[in-house]
Amino acid sequence: MIIFDKVTKKFPLGNTALDNLEFTIEDNEFVFLVGPSGAGKTTILKLILKEIDPSLGTIIIDEDDITSKNFNNLENLRKKIGIIFQDFKILYDKNVFENVSLTCNIENLNIKQTKEKTNQALKLVGLEEKKYLFPIQLSAGEIQRIAIARAIVTERKYLLADEPTGNLDPKTAWEIIKIFKRFENKKTIIIATHNIDIVNSLEKRVIALKQGKIIKDKRKGGYQI
Amino acid sequence: MKNIFLSFKRTPYQTFAIILILFFSLFLISNILIFFSFLNSFLNYIETKPQVTIYFKPNTSEDYISKIKNQLIQTGKITNIIYINQKKAFEIYKKLNQDNPLLLEMVSPETMPPSLEIYTKKPEYLEEIAQGFKNKENIDEVQYQANIINKLLKINQTLRIISLVFIFYLSLMTIIVLTIITWFKILLKKDEIDLLRLLGASKFYIRKPYLKENLFLATLSTILSFISFTSLILYFYPFLKNYLMGIDNLYLKFNSFQIIVWPININFLLIVFFISWFFGLLISIFSTYLATNKYLKV
Repeated sequence: MIIFDKVTKKFPLGNTALDNLEFTIEDNEFVFLVGPSGAGKTTILKLILKEIDPSLGTIIIDEDDITSKNFNNLENLRKKIGIIFQDFKILYDKNVFENVSLTCNIENLNIKQTKEKTNQALKLVGLEEKKYLFPIQLSAGEIQRIAIARAIVTERKYLLADEPTGNLDPKTAWEIIKIFKRFENKKTIIIATHNIDIVNSLEKRVIALKQGKIIKDKRKGGYQI
Repeated sequence: MKNIFLSFKRTPYQTFAIILILFFSLFLISNILIFFSFLNSFLNYIETKPQVTIYFKPNTSEDYISKIKNQLIQTGKITNIIYINQKKAFEIYKKLNQDNPLLLEMVSPETMPPSLEIYTKKPEYLEEIAQGFKNKENIDEVQYQANIINKLLKINQTLRIISLVFIFYLSLMTIIVLTIITWFKILLKKDEIDLLRLLGASKFYIRKPYLKENLFLATLSTILSFISFTSLILYFYPFLKNYLMGIDNLYLKFNSFQIIVWPININFLLIVFFISWFFGLLISIFSTYLATNKYLKV
């Protein structure tokens, strides 16, 4: 469970990214964070990952107050989260298999387990045939799939995705969303997007943001500009 | 191991620079260690020789000498005292001058001075003991190798300070160079480190490859330095043998434990190897920690 309690995030130059945000995301929930650019979607994901800290308020993840000064469990928190970054963060000097198996290595899985799990994840995202290719040899959609495979390769409780369908053609975008759908009710999935079609057709919980504030939080919501 | 060699292949100049600086430092540190082992063991050797000899006037009573002997024992600074009475002194004199009958005719046991040969725990006590007895009643003369011992002590102390400063300077230089080179290597992988941190990698997980690499290089440099200083010692061995002629053994004492320094032996060389290896590993660990620390704040 993720609880945001009166969370405000101000950046050093004074702009407010999030303003007194309050919401709770239950375990195994599928949530879309929607809103225009600069609404604060990415900031929420960064706060959950504790890449940044809030200026005010409390964030509780699985009963751990990650904003507390005494919080010293950063590695374990991040090991619960599979994340797909907006800029993919793919390592171009490693092949597809090595990129995906990074997560397994971090979790100290042995070679056999790493091979097994990485191959499974690659099969799931349709990259099994291309596992020894380097990212430069792949299309944007395929690179996006590497990032997804890396996030799902181990059984992490949370799956966060920041604009996973951005810059992809509609067909590829849907294929990516189908992968997420496979984990419905198995993981807590939070997707930051402004892809209206996908949000509206899936009918999942939607938290709409504007200028750092929640303007709508609907259980089976849609999204309109 | 595969990753270590891959990293060397990718950054050959940085790797070579690390080996050079580590080799240079460890080689010099090993040589300093050997030099001090010799100097200290030589001081130990000198300490085994009679250090202060107190000569009494010929007719001094044995009770008086015994009183002086007890006084010296009570100071706690003495390891051994040997009393040489007039008879024994005469025998020593006879032995020393057996080729000169004229000299032997001139003396008798009654003319010989009785003496105390004193061995101190530390060379620093020699001066104090010698000065303390110089003007005492019934004491004819106090002899000690003041010049040699004082000089050796002074040389030892001065060199010790210079060497400590030098070792500190060498360590600092090596740490700085190693840290900077490791920084460069990390800089090439900054994106990867940021990603690993965000995926939940521990600080140790990120440090591990750099640590392994630097520990490997420290070991390699220690081996190279060991080969170099051993070759150097073997090259100068005949000269040393000639110079230390008459000295059977030189050793360092640490409470009940002692290391034979001369003649050169494999145990002594291995101890120097392990000390310099330990030093190399310590420098590597510290440098890697410093270099990686900056990039682990994500």
